[in-house]
Amino acid sequence: MAGLLKKTTGLVGLAVSQNPHERLRVLYSKILASVQTMPQDAAYRKYTEQLVNQRLDFVKTEPDVEKLEKKINSGQIEEVIFQAECELSLSRKMSEWKPWEPLIEEPPPNQWKWPI
Amino acid sequence: MAASLVRFVRGGLGRGFNIARSSCLLQQQTRLQSSTTEASATIRPKDAVTHNQLAAFGEYVAEIMPKYIQQVQVTCYNELEVMIHPDGVIPVLTFLRDHTNAQFRNMIDQTAVDIPTRQNRFEIVYNLLSLRYNSRIRVKTYTDELTPVDSAVPVHKAANWYEREIWDMFGVFFANHPDLRRILTDYGFEGHPFRKDFPLSGYVEVRYDDEVKRVVAEPVELSQEFRKFDLNTPWEVFPAHREPKDAAPKLEAGDKAPEKK
Repeated sequence: MAGLLKKTTGLVGLAVSQNPHERLRVLYSKILASVQTMPQDAAYRKYTEQLVNQRLDFVKTEPDVEKLEKKINSGQIEEVIFQAECELSLSRKMSEWKPWEPLIEEPPPNQWKWPI
Repeated sequence: MAASLVRFVRGGLGRGFNIARSSCLLQQQTRLQSSTTEASATIRPKDAVTHNQLAAFGEYVAEIMPKYIQQVQVTCYNELEVMIHPDGVIPVLTFLRDHTNAQFRNMIDQTAVDIPTRQNRFEIVYNLLSLRYNSRIRVKTYTDELTPVDSAVPVHKAANWYEREIWDMFGVFFANHPDLRRILTDYGFEGHPFRKDFPLSGYVEVRYDDEVKRVVAEPVELSQEFRKFDLNTPWEVFPAHREPKDAAPKLEAGDKAPEKK
């Protein structure tokens, strides 16, 4: 339906999405699955689950695209899809990097002291 | 362990706050001296809302990536600075680019600072911009002459020429850079001109030689080899950054904070 009314997003390289709800639901469930592999107390898992669950709720409850865009309040629905794609690739990289581990090395003394 | 980490981060933030606090102390002093009303044109107005937002976001990033982030601070001009370990360049920049709450997709600038007295003399500075949230962040890391830093090109395409420039001017080597070669200096130039130990006059001068019909490079000959300037002032330049006489001993993870009366 959105494809019939909307011809362009006005952004270069970002095509109008034909079925944004379907796409978002798939992406968000993938993000959630990838985040599940991280430890429970990882801050990234906590915040990302919270954010994605909130958006997934909006996607499930709001069938109208324009109202959904207003509810999510993060630009057009195509941009939201792009953000979800980035988040998915990030979450997969994050489980490799494990950034919730303790600091690998303290800075040398006076490294961040300014003026010297 | 996690608790001590968070406190360390808070300590970093606290340092940032200290800067802001001392600057506002300064402002108050000037205000008292000039004895004007609050709307003085010469005093930078304090923006507590932005400051708190930036501090909260800095804490958020530090909480998510405690492995790489050593310190977070908000400067007195309301700029968020994140100090990271050099191994964390790619993870932190990727996180800032791809996370939905950050979206720092544009690299505005990347540069280096040379501070020869430090153990790691070069600071590498990344300035990022988030168009979605209209905010900026500065990421800093460190290296020395020999240690390579991971190139940011896989994350930000714009880093390509900036890293060539840093390589040219400072001699910092970037690992995995696609095309690391000189960008500003001339063919056959030796040395890295932005290093503090590079002389102002350079090592060679070029001139056109009429006999050999080409430009020749010769070592610089100055009538006066070296002149020592005494640039120290008798006045205290940074009263706001005065060292405390006896610094409080650093707390270990297990120690309790001394009680305050």
